[in-house]
Amino acid sequence: MSNNGPIDRIVFGDNQFFGINHMSQDKAQERAERFAKLDNIMQVYDHAIEAGVEGIMLNSNDRAKGICDRFRADKAKYGHLKWYPSIPYPHKYAAMVNDKGMVGAAQEMLFAKGAKSALGKMVSGGMAVATLDAVKLMKMLVDQEMEIYHDLDIRVVFLQNIIVDLMLGYDVAEPFVAYCQHIRKKYGAYPGLITQNLPFLRRKLIEWGIEDVVICASINKIGYLMSPGVEEYEAVLAENDGSKYPVMAMSTLASGAVPPGEAYDYINKLNVQSVVFGASSPGNIQQTVSLIEGAPA
Amino acid sequence: MTSPLRLGIIGAGRMGITHYSIANAHDHAAITGVADPSKLVTTMLGKYAKVGTYKDYKGLLKGEELDGVLVCTPPAFNPDILDAVLEAKLHAFVEKPFMLNSADGARFAAGFDAAGLVNQVGYVNRWNDMFTKAKTFVDDGLIGEPLRFRSEMFSGTIIRDVGEAGWRSTHANGGGAIYEMASHAIDLIGYFFGAPDRVGGTSLSKVYSKQVEDIVSSSLFYDNGPRGGLAGTLYVNWSDASYRKPTNKFEIFGKGGKIQVDQHGMKVFLAEANEAHDLKQGWNQIYITDVFSSVPFYVRGIEYTAQLFDFIASIHEGKPVRCTFADATANLRVMEQLFADDAAQRAETRAGDAA
Repeated sequence: MSNNGPIDRIVFGDNQFFGINHMSQDKAQERAERFAKLDNIMQVYDHAIEAGVEGIMLNSNDRAKGICDRFRADKAKYGHLKWYPSIPYPHKYAAMVNDKGMVGAAQEMLFAKGAKSALGKMVSGGMAVATLDAVKLMKMLVDQEMEIYHDLDIRVVFLQNIIVDLMLGYDVAEPFVAYCQHIRKKYGAYPGLITQNLPFLRRKLIEWGIEDVVICASINKIGYLMSPGVEEYEAVLAENDGSKYPVMAMSTLASGAVPPGEAYDYINKLNVQSVVFGASSPGNIQQTVSLIEGAPA
Repeated sequence: MTSPLRLGIIGAGRMGITHYSIANAHDHAAITGVADPSKLVTTMLGKYAKVGTYKDYKGLLKGEELDGVLVCTPPAFNPDILDAVLEAKLHAFVEKPFMLNSADGARFAAGFDAAGLVNQVGYVNRWNDMFTKAKTFVDDGLIGEPLRFRSEMFSGTIIRDVGEAGWRSTHANGGGAIYEMASHAIDLIGYFFGAPDRVGGTSLSKVYSKQVEDIVSSSLFYDNGPRGGLAGTLYVNWSDASYRKPTNKFEIFGKGGKIQVDQHGMKVFLAEANEAHDLKQGWNQIYITDVFSSVPFYVRGIEYTAQLFDFIASIHEGKPVRCTFADATANLRVMEQLFADDAAQRAETRAGDAA
């Protein structure tokens, strides 16, 4: 259990700022121009906070640090907020692999902070690959990613679905166990796992004896990005113990395929502890908050 | 279903580790061995995933009892690897572009078919829900006989000087925008219409790379057969920083309308409404959320799981293969035509300059 108590019913995401809009290239460009300015991003956050939002999910990307700095700078206004960061920043690693190949990217990652850093020391000095401690390495990479969130009230640290679901296929407990322990111990927060395979992940977590993990997954009435399917999700949610595995729903509108009223009617009927949503207009933010049951008044 | 398939991975790079996860999650398949030259990769996999690890394919094929392999190595290595795989009588899934020349491709297509072995190449767009839907439309005659097409692909893969290191930097290793990216755009053309008869007006340009092309453009022509008279263009650019993710765009024009499709959506313009497909006269917008299929396990996209689960189903149940070695070999012939046409154009220009 997190030292900080339960998770927020409503969490405000960042897809509206940085997500890829497949629906319209013009809209995507318009949005990219608008949110190139940090002031415009902060204005949207202020609207969300006015609407009663107290939880913020932020994906690690090259804009995240600047955003965190703004929030840290005004304790009186933002000090009450709870944070739900999601790591790592996959685009950064993908770009490195493109440029340098897998081995080159690994080296760049490890020596990013210089050969004298903890990571640098670990892999230099003739340390043999065979004795390289993967768990220790993972912890260091997590800590490196978490630096930008310092001095914020961290409630959950999520691992991105591209990592979670990739590891899930390998059917190995150790990395999940080690990640969850590290997040609890070092950050006093819930470990969180983002997935597009909620029933499979939950079954594995139970099998491996890992509890008190927040599972964040796409949940929408049309079953978009829900493997293996919407019926399996409904069955698993109905029997899920939300105190052991709190569930946070994302992609509730299925990329705009489900209208908000219908979408949250569906979510409100499910055994779901939390909802993360993104919107950029004050009207849409307020409407969404009012549609999610159990939201702060 | 019979006993679980035992699969080996040859080449545990970005695609290899993805395919490992997907295939291993299948109820009736398991990865039992991995070959990769990286000590880091094999040490980790041996220690945590507890599979047999080998520094190369020879060790894997000798050390493991396998039913099939997933070959995810740079294509220059693939002829030697597939010779050994064929000799060992194993089913094979091979990452695109499969080979570096059509002669090798044709040899393995014939060899694996003759041995009754399932052979598949990872041109993943053939499993994308938008492209398969668009193909259904074309095959059903929704826009009449196709007359023109455009196949384009963009990404910001090479957007700075990358130096000479790595297997991507030379054609001999399978680097360059033709083998690595245009191959996808060419495969979409093959998937929709079969292979063209000839190409013309090819231009290959460097932007950042020293020895290989970053931009590919050409025209493709169908002279004979049922597609006689069809023509189209190819434009591929992997140095376009305005694209965050690799994107294929495909447009087909016919007398009855037009289809514009990418991985995530489709626009259809029809001269007349089509009731069977529930499409109106004029513009229709179709989103991925209108047509998506479900897969049992999701890692990188529905199509990645769908293609590997189909490979497994082909071995288990004899399901027809959607992208065979022969299909990939047809793509290699087009790539050879592009290289030859570009070289011919340059020779002509030089001759013109000299005169």
